[in-house]
Amino acid sequence: MEFLNFLLILWAAWLLWRHPERERLAFGILVVSCVLMALLFLVGTRTSLVPGVNL
Amino acid sequence: MAVSQDRLRTILAWVVIALMAGPPGVSVVLGVMYGESPCVLCWAQRTSMILIGLVGLFILRYGPRPRYLGMAVLLATWGVFMALRHSALHLARDIGQGFAGTYFGIHTYTWSGIIHVSVLVVIGALMFLLREDAALNWGRDLARTGRVAMRLFAAVVAGNALQAFATTGPPPFVGQADPVRFSFNPRRWVWSLDEWGLDRISLRGAWTVPGPDVAPVDPDPTHGPLAGLPTLPISTWERVGVTLNGTLTDLAWDAASRRFLAVTDRHGVYVLDSTMSRVFHYVVLDPGFSIDLTPLAGAAFLGDTLAVLATNKSIVLLRPDPGADADREWRHFVTTDGTVSELRLGRVATVRARQMFVMSLAYDPAADELIAVTVPSPRHQRLVVARFSRADFLPVSERVPMLAPGLTARDSTRTLADYMVTGAVVADGLLYAISAAYSTLLVMDVEGRAVFAAYAVPGLERPTGLAARGTTLLVALADGRVAVVERPAPIR
Repeated sequence: MEFLNFLLILWAAWLLWRHPERERLAFGILVVSCVLMALLFLVGTRTSLVPGVNL
Repeated sequence: MAVSQDRLRTILAWVVIALMAGPPGVSVVLGVMYGESPCVLCWAQRTSMILIGLVGLFILRYGPRPRYLGMAVLLATWGVFMALRHSALHLARDIGQGFAGTYFGIHTYTWSGIIHVSVLVVIGALMFLLREDAALNWGRDLARTGRVAMRLFAAVVAGNALQAFATTGPPPFVGQADPVRFSFNPRRWVWSLDEWGLDRISLRGAWTVPGPDVAPVDPDPTHGPLAGLPTLPISTWERVGVTLNGTLTDLAWDAASRRFLAVTDRHGVYVLDSTMSRVFHYVVLDPGFSIDLTPLAGAAFLGDTLAVLATNKSIVLLRPDPGADADREWRHFVTTDGTVSELRLGRVATVRARQMFVMSLAYDPAADELIAVTVPSPRHQRLVVARFSRADFLPVSERVPMLAPGLTARDSTRTLADYMVTGAVVADGLLYAISAAYSTLLVMDVEGRAVFAAYAVPGLERPTGLAARGTTLLVALADGRVAVVERPAPIR
């Protein structure tokens, strides 16, 4: 899934570079990539947002 | 103080270049050179830094629009959280027990935190330098430095994509908690779906341990995990004759002073006479002051010192002291009769018994050590006999007792962890433990290596404490009743 996320980021960067008129699409891809990154972190922590500590 | 658009653009381009040339770029180089690969959490943190770089490119191209700045702040904040969450797994381990490589003596998960905090500082500084109309008149030209930043960004992301493909694979494969060394050789690639194995959603993970509760346990000894136990009849009943401030949670007997020590779930500590009808000393501990005290669950005499243990393994040493300074002791106690001093308040450190509650306390005078037995929880199904030093409250031993020959489990699914020990006492070199679940008395060596005898005690209603008086055992119940049974002395 990390590989997929980097492809998304490359796509967004390509749009910025070569097709700046597609800003909305590029920003949409950025948002999707951010959500995917956050989701993968939560998967890695087994949804445990808080580490084993006393709050 | 505001700077020109060109200068701001150049500064921002250099920020993106520095960020990309930092961890996201260096990590790819180190992966190729040394086989270093990130774990699943590191991947997310590295991705976050790259996404911040991408937001920088958005600003270079379209100007400092509010949603770009907002996204950069959100990403950096999430990055700080990820770094804290990830670092928490390793920061508190013993000396030198970090995870993976270090750079300038600092592990990557810590660097991630430093960089994300730095990003927040840089965002703040750049916003400080922005002109009010900066977003309105922003030219689309990237300029030379901006183009360098764009090319470097593309190269770094492509390198990361290559490394991610080799070490984590295409979707739906995902990074591993224990990362695989990078290799260009496909035969060494390990693509895993293990991290997708979410068996439950829990914000606190293994820390989700409910407080111990004897109410739902089954008191019927015939349903216990051990088969064919002999019966230990209750010979008589006694009762705590004074009014306590809460539920009785443990009882201890001191033969020298012929006094009882009783504790309650509402932090009451009582020294009673031999008939349990008169209070000699009385305090209510302050559970919220200094170290947290959950309900008291264990009591023991250490000579003339009183030891009381909370379910969270916080411990308090007290001493009856007719000359106690009531004003000085006021800070320790919610209520006091003015005849008790606090000697020490601390926590019992455990390793094997970590994340487990206890409901018992015993004292082994031969070793000058204290003993607590863990109670199981939905998260941790173990019975651990934890011994700790009276001097520093550090662990001496933590054992999971075995079943001695002659004792057999009812079936292969039943273990000693089915018991819920709520009282323990040392007598004549043996450790006795009473379980609220299945009303069973366990007899162990004082080290907790093995349970070599067990007795069903029918008639108990979820006992909460255990004391030894001469040749008898006193089993305390929550309502203040005390069952007296003859103390068995099995031969090992």
